[in-house]
Amino acid sequence: MQILNLQKTNLTNMKKLIFSIATLLAFTAVFAFTFVQSWQITDKYNIQFSSNDVGGIFKTFKGSIVFDEANPAASKFDVTIDVASINTGNGLQNKHAKSDEWFDAAKYPEIKYTSKKIVKTGAGYQVTGDLQMHGVTKEVSFPFVFKKTGAGATFNGSFAINRSDFHIGKPGGEVAEQIKIDVAVPVTKG
Amino acid sequence: MFKRLILLGAVSGVLAGIAAIVYQKVYTSSTGADFSSIAKPVNIIVVCTLANILASLGYALLLKWLPRAAEIVFNFVFVILTFASILGPFAAKLPLTIEAPELFPGLTVPMHFFPVLAWFTLKPLFIKK
Repeated sequence: MQILNLQKTNLTNMKKLIFSIATLLAFTAVFAFTFVQSWQITDKYNIQFSSNDVGGIFKTFKGSIVFDEANPAASKFDVTIDVASINTGNGLQNKHAKSDEWFDAAKYPEIKYTSKKIVKTGAGYQVTGDLQMHGVTKEVSFPFVFKKTGAGATFNGSFAINRSDFHIGKPGGEVAEQIKIDVAVPVTKG
Repeated sequence: MFKRLILLGAVSGVLAGIAAIVYQKVYTSSTGADFSSIAKPVNIIVVCTLANILASLGYALLLKWLPRAAEIVFNFVFVILTFASILGPFAAKLPLTIEAPELFPGLTVPMHFFPVLAWFTLKPLFIKK
């Protein structure tokens, strides 16, 4: 009878131990999944666009960047560009770019990119997300590299978009359809 | 006559340059737009002086070739060229680090008229009929 009681006590203790370990493992897994480094965008970023005829920068860029080299699947970019901050280096071109013929900054004041998936590639990473510009949302994927520098890091990426996909400007004309975008975003740990 | 014309060009050019620099200071302090890295004071003086010396040379040549119509032809050509030159600031593509390129023509277009104004203003002091 005593032996039976002892066995019951041992079984109860074992169950408690297994439950504790399982809880700890589950908690660790959840914590590891949710704790992904967030990064603050510094003001030294450079959002540049260029084609055969025109080129320039967007001076205002903001958003949230959550990125972990070891866990790109849990990373996320949610960034916006202020369309009115466009600078081509020429006042008339700036005004023209903001007009309804091109970006229509009054109606569509922001360009928004929200990532859906980030994966590791050979040389760096590949992000896929929704680019919302001029009232049109399209899925855009582009490669980028993440380079740590001291306490901070820099995201660098380049890709091309077709301006007609977003109904920006008239098709054809002097400005090329393909616009190259170069992004350099220095960040610090947030 | 030729020496006096060259002197007119040089003096009026330097004065136009000084006026342009003063205008640049006033413009920068009133609008906050600083274009001194593009429109450098030394360059302003040099360009204004060269422009007015060139104008004097042109006037001297016209006096030689068209003695009767030199005055009117020169005035028209100098003013038309001045007006044509204002297309430059509107078409200029500034470095992307410049904050407000929209304000660049407001600075430089008036400057383009300073040499012609200085030349015509000082001409009676150097060339007497």
